[in-house]
Amino acid sequence: MADKTITVRAARFDPEHDKEPRLQSYEVPFYDESMVVLDALNHIKNHIDGSLSYRWSCRMGICGSCGMMVNGTPKLTCNAFLRDYWPRPVVVQPLNNFPLIRDLVIDMDDFMHKLKSIKPWIIRKQELPLGAGEHRQTNEQIDDFRQFSECINCMLCYAACPIYGLNEEFLGPAATALARRYNLDSRDEGLKDRLPVVAEAEGIWECSFVGECSVVCPKGVDPAKAIQQTKLDTTMRFVLPYGNRE
Amino acid sequence: MPLNWWTRQRHYFLYMLREFTALPMALWLIWLLYEISGLRSGAHGYTPPRSGLFVAFSVVVLLFSLYHSYTFLKLAGVIMRIKVLDRQIPSRVIVFTMFGAWAVASAVIAFVLIWFAR
Repeated sequence: MADKTITVRAARFDPEHDKEPRLQSYEVPFYDESMVVLDALNHIKNHIDGSLSYRWSCRMGICGSCGMMVNGTPKLTCNAFLRDYWPRPVVVQPLNNFPLIRDLVIDMDDFMHKLKSIKPWIIRKQELPLGAGEHRQTNEQIDDFRQFSECINCMLCYAACPIYGLNEEFLGPAATALARRYNLDSRDEGLKDRLPVVAEAEGIWECSFVGECSVVCPKGVDPAKAIQQTKLDTTMRFVLPYGNRE
Repeated sequence: MPLNWWTRQRHYFLYMLREFTALPMALWLIWLLYEISGLRSGAHGYTPPRSGLFVAFSVVVLLFSLYHSYTFLKLAGVIMRIKVLDRQIPSRVIVFTMFGAWAVASAVIAFVLIWFAR
């Protein structure tokens, strides 16, 4: 089976020469059923065209670097098997909804800014001294936020979200899911620090529950659920007597 | 974003359909309010349209409202976090309960309407 090949059509864009991205076809040997799209890109880079630019790091679905559009769907290319596409060609394009830097590399500054804005770390009003021991949690308390803590910041949810595509001011799925992860953490006391960002018009209220963010998440996080639950909690805080307490 | 973004994927299309169903439902309900307002001049003021076109429109709106209700209840079950004795009620139980409540409420309303119409 050594001579089996698959056609990879990769987006190419040189900001100094191109006005629009274009697709370039490459024939890549497909010798192993476990090969993924990232392997094909690495083959192109190493053996056919060294100028192809893309991000990757761990190759095991943990770092979140290699997210791209594979046949129109946001995917981690290290987790997209060529066997699922062969003998049809695989079209690899940069993630939707982000400015393009070069080839398959997108500008992630907007996402990083949003991520920082929700303060994704445990906030304490007063730090306990080390001698006080650990912040112990029950299994139920961990279950409250566990799935939202699985996010690897791969930005596939932003590429799948048409709301973010239409309004880049939208805080977006991953940032809101992480805000909820910390707000639900029994050790955290930063809810009021995050609410001004999360509960504003361009925060949770911009989302109209398309739900595609949760479909494409490679880690099983459900950002759509996080956003809708935050809407419900925020409304209850507003409506219920004493709801504004922490 | 191109204008036809919602035709690219089935999921996007179903989302747009879900959102769109609210529009004909709103039109139908406004029409119903208008008809009811005719009752101010007595029972003879109530003259619901009987044309085949309106019946066809009503059937379409009924299908839309069923689809809208189905999606609403299905999604609402995902959102709600209800704890009993410190344990989270699974989403599917909430969804099942809400669909059951929907069926019971529909049956009660249908019974009342048919009972008074006799």
